[in-house]
Amino acid sequence: MTEPILEVIDLKKSFGDNHVLKGINMRVMPQEVVTIIGASGSGKSTLLRCLNHLNIPDSGKIIFQGHDINDEDIDINAVRTQMNMVFQSFNLFMHLTAKRNIALSLMKVKRMSKAEAEEKAIKALEKVGLGEKADAYPGELSGGQQQRVAIARAMAMEPKVILFDEPTSALDPELIGEVLDVMKKLAMSGMTMVVVTHEMGFAREMADKVIFMDQGVIAEQGTPEEIFVNPQNPRTKVFLRRILKEMGAMDPGIPTDFLPNGNGLQDNP
Amino acid sequence: MVMTIDWTIIPEFLPIFMKGLQMTLLISVISIVLGFIGGILIGMCRISRNRLVYGASTVYVEAFRGTPLLIQIFLIYLGLPQLGIYVDSPLVAGLIALSLNSAAYQSEIFRGGVQSISVGQIEAARSLGMTYNQALFNVVISQALRNALPPYTNEFITMIKDSSLVMTIGVLELTLRGKLISATTGQSIPVLLFVALLYFVMTFSTSRILRYVERRFAIPGMMGSESK
Repeated sequence: MTEPILEVIDLKKSFGDNHVLKGINMRVMPQEVVTIIGASGSGKSTLLRCLNHLNIPDSGKIIFQGHDINDEDIDINAVRTQMNMVFQSFNLFMHLTAKRNIALSLMKVKRMSKAEAEEKAIKALEKVGLGEKADAYPGELSGGQQQRVAIARAMAMEPKVILFDEPTSALDPELIGEVLDVMKKLAMSGMTMVVVTHEMGFAREMADKVIFMDQGVIAEQGTPEEIFVNPQNPRTKVFLRRILKEMGAMDPGIPTDFLPNGNGLQDNP
Repeated sequence: MVMTIDWTIIPEFLPIFMKGLQMTLLISVISIVLGFIGGILIGMCRISRNRLVYGASTVYVEAFRGTPLLIQIFLIYLGLPQLGIYVDSPLVAGLIALSLNSAAYQSEIFRGGVQSISVGQIEAARSLGMTYNQALFNVVISQALRNALPPYTNEFITMIKDSSLVMTIGVLELTLRGKLISATTGQSIPVLLFVALLYFVMTFSTSRILRYVERRFAIPGMMGSESK
């Protein structure tokens, strides 16, 4: 059996009295797509940020490619070049063109020449369908385009894992599709991805594993079928019913077989 | 005694006015540049997480911002010799005082510019493997300086005008020259108005030049950039 590329063991994180993560255990295998779902405040984003040490965990282990990144002698910058993050608010460098947004870290971190970095940047932009926007500034792009540049920026670093923190939550509904399409392509290319999302369609269609977080713990995890079709934990059922109802209200075109049919999930019969 | 206003005094004393103008320009440029560099250094201290560095820089800024520039000039020119430190040239003493004072103001301008950059951009840079310093220099500072251009313009204009305070320790800059000419000739109105006009030419050019720089370096798609 192959080793997990990323393993989290009893991870805890508090902000003051607020215990956000109360002991998380999870495994991500190479080339796996893991989606993390759950209500706001359940700790999903904090978990993701801890994996990248944008928040420093209080205790527990994060074993990435065999090394605990919480160890003091680990160079976190080296870890991050292998495990990038894509953010809800895109976080492009506003003073740089799309091309230079991607080239910057290639030059500074990977020590590529400017020409080499920009060539690679353009290739990455072509992969996300934005080859012709290489010289546009972030402020001249739509939200969906900005997020695609951000994904290209992460891809160009050729990381082992990309973390996605609610990548479509800041987008207008009509722009979500183009970003999800890029993510699907990336997943199919074999990239290992950990995706915090409210897009249940993506979670169900693309995930190898779905993790449901509730109040700082993993309440349930399994295949998309296990979670969406036959959830065991009552909290998962309540969450899914609520979020799918919201989605249904927004988009009446959602097929009915998409809705979970586990016990107690139907509205009052 | 009423005296007729005699404008011919201006061309007559023009070489002396120009000497004063030169000196004022020299003082302004040097103290603005030194204040700019000092401001960035102190501004970096003001965003430091090291308490000692933060504390010391905060005391500096509050002290220089909170006391009259004139007192600072006197303290350096008249006060330091009492401690055995002699700043012989009034010009040097004036430059030190103006630079130290402007550095305090400019550090706050710089800090404001840095803090106008979203934390998210720094996180994105770090998440791509850049070090804190790489993120600071490549992502934060170049944007911070652009965002801070309007307050910098204010500060530079203030410096040009405040440079006149060093006349009190005998630096022969524009205001002191003007005062001397007006005292010798008695033509206060034309002399002082002409001096004021020369200051205005300096400050107005400064504001136009920096406005041009602002447009030239505006980030496309951001507020303040020219629409296409």
